[in-house]
Amino acid sequence: MKKRASFILALTLAASLLVGSGKVVLAGENNTFIYATAASATSLDLHREITQNNAFAIDKIFEPLVLFDEDGIVGDWLAESHTISDDGLVYTFVLRDGLKFSDGTDVTAEDVKFSLDRHLEVEGPLPLEADIASIEATDDKTVVITLNQAYTPFFSELANFSNGILPKDFGGKTEEEFFQNPVGTGPFAVDEWDPAGDLTFVRNEYYWRGTPSIEKLVYKVVDDDNQAINQLKTGEVDAVADLSYANAAEIDGNAETAVITGGSWNVEEIFFNTLDEHFSDVHVRRALALAIDREAITQALTFGYGEVANTVLPNAIRYNTTDSVNALNLDLEAAKEELAQSAYPDGFDTTVSIASGNNVRLQEAQILQAAGAQIGINIEIDAKEIAAFREDFKALNFSIMINSATADYPDADSIFAFQVDPEGFSQCYWTSYKSDEAVKLLKEGQVTPDGDERAAVYADLQQVLADDVPYIPLYYPSITVGIRSNVEGLVILPNGSARFENVTFN
Amino acid sequence: MREKRIRKKTLMIGMIMMGLLAALAVLAPLICSCDPLEQDLYNVLKAPGSSGHLLGTDQLGRDILARLLYAGRTDLAVMVLAEIIPFFTGTFLGMVSGYFGGRAEWVITLVTDTFIAFPYYLLVIVVAFATGAGIHGIFITFMLVGWLVYARVARGVTSSLRRSEWVEAAKIMGYSDLRILVTEVFPNVLPQAVVVLMTDMAALLVSIVTLGYLGIGITPPTPDWGMMISEGQSFVTTAWWLSVLPGLMVVYTGIALSLLGDGLADFWRRDSV
Repeated sequence: MKKRASFILALTLAASLLVGSGKVVLAGENNTFIYATAASATSLDLHREITQNNAFAIDKIFEPLVLFDEDGIVGDWLAESHTISDDGLVYTFVLRDGLKFSDGTDVTAEDVKFSLDRHLEVEGPLPLEADIASIEATDDKTVVITLNQAYTPFFSELANFSNGILPKDFGGKTEEEFFQNPVGTGPFAVDEWDPAGDLTFVRNEYYWRGTPSIEKLVYKVVDDDNQAINQLKTGEVDAVADLSYANAAEIDGNAETAVITGGSWNVEEIFFNTLDEHFSDVHVRRALALAIDREAITQALTFGYGEVANTVLPNAIRYNTTDSVNALNLDLEAAKEELAQSAYPDGFDTTVSIASGNNVRLQEAQILQAAGAQIGINIEIDAKEIAAFREDFKALNFSIMINSATADYPDADSIFAFQVDPEGFSQCYWTSYKSDEAVKLLKEGQVTPDGDERAAVYADLQQVLADDVPYIPLYYPSITVGIRSNVEGLVILPNGSARFENVTFN
Repeated sequence: MREKRIRKKTLMIGMIMMGLLAALAVLAPLICSCDPLEQDLYNVLKAPGSSGHLLGTDQLGRDILARLLYAGRTDLAVMVLAEIIPFFTGTFLGMVSGYFGGRAEWVITLVTDTFIAFPYYLLVIVVAFATGAGIHGIFITFMLVGWLVYARVARGVTSSLRRSEWVEAAKIMGYSDLRILVTEVFPNVLPQAVVVLMTDMAALLVSIVTLGYLGIGITPPTPDWGMMISEGQSFVTTAWWLSVLPGLMVVYTGIALSLLGDGLADFWRRDSV
């Protein structure tokens, strides 16, 4: 018995072939669009959630005053127009005519005030960072927001899903009731929802941009990559979110399926703990940066669906200077010289921390390991279960780690505040990096109005970071979504979400 | 007669298969000049047969043949080394408890039964988390529980030998207990223990590979079949050989060990009849 059991186990390991199961529902049937996602939506309370599984369901139901498009440009959405006073303190928004919630009631300025007030009250994981003095509904359609001090990112910040508009006083329901079946202005409303499984939306007949052409939208939870791809091939699902790059070429090469891509607000990075005995030395950090072939990493890991990152600001966000910044590229001689100038000219032993179960990170760690070996830095890989990994790096208990950073909204400050401000809760993405110059530029960027002057500030900041190397940006991953070839009108957004309201089947 | 020949064949095939595997592992550097760690990021996931790489390259452009061979070296070496101490301690403790009976038997049986009741993989994972990923986790766990199965077998055989004529005779001749255990009992226990060893090694190999697969076994860059299967999983629809080849190696080793075990058991059984 024992022998046979070990064979079966071995065979299972060897095959690793996962075959889709369950009854086959043809996608596109009954004008229903089925979207495969990795995790279920567990809560629809827009003010208390941050993770994608919830965010990308919430943003179908609630919409903010201003919103970004597929290029990440923020413009009026529920607001018909906006004005910002010259001192950058007073923001006036005028709502569109005829806006209705999905239950048919009118949207008023009071609803906007209620929504933003509740967000300020709850605070939540995506709080409004602007120092808001007051939010007033001056008439039925006009909302005036006054700040205590100018904060340029505020306009972009408002585009966050967490600043969506809901009916005043939850339309008379209790909070709990309301978020079980929420009412918003978005293109879809909840039809059936299993917080541990699938979520079915029904279209909003009152949608202000025209009733969506699909009747229902299903977020189907398929947590295995290979299974999701099989279901896309057989037509059990119409699209697959977050298609892995390894499989994208295959999906793209198939006549019945296609891949759509878009720029993202994400950047893959190597982070140094600058309190670490070795990595507190800027020469050591620079040496390692010079030993890494980022071009090759991008090529090998993204299969052409990513771009080399020369700065930590994602290239889908304005003021990115990846084409002009002077970054450290592969140069082994220079790397050795740099290490010779450090306190550890003969190299040393260290550890890179990654979350286990993530094959891409494991590959990156092995590439880093090989790079370090070339200049005498012996790097051991420490793969920990993700909860333990997070706990460790948040306790600053790491030397090097590999992780990614994502902007919450399309403003450069969303990334820089997280990675440059030593006073911020993230302690410069837990690198404890301290640079007076970088902090000065960060603060300047927050109050300089959009335009050439702000661009110059951020160009300087990106150069400081490229020289100091508290982190090494590796690549900007694209967003890749696999779709059935008969699907048209799906719009991919740079935060990884998608718009389904214009989807049609051929 | 015919059955006898088949039995003999089992042993032969097992020995040939195992010998071939051992030769591949030992002679790896001669068979393939490739470095199992050398990355070529511009030539990843090349299919078997592509230039310079008989079995292709993996997701980091490393030569798969070299990795398979060197992974075999590591996995088989760990497998054999981790078995040595449990094999001898288990057999010895089993013999002692079977030979003396009484209190020694009671204590050893109690310990054996307690440990056997504990789920093996749970223990492996607990040890791996406590000591961090790496080969030492496998060694520690196996030191703790690996001897049990040998102790059981050795005790069974010894208890039945205890009252046999030649043991009695040896006692009358004034041989010491230790001498009787070593010269009279051990040669009779050994065949049984060796048969168990074969099966147990196959099971141990699977657990080494499983730990590697789970990311808490042998740590990279050292190649290991389990890690190779796990890393290849992301590419299973496009480059299936990444996972399947190391998987087949595990299956092959398992079959070889089983045939060897069965063959040896039959060989000795016939011998003793």
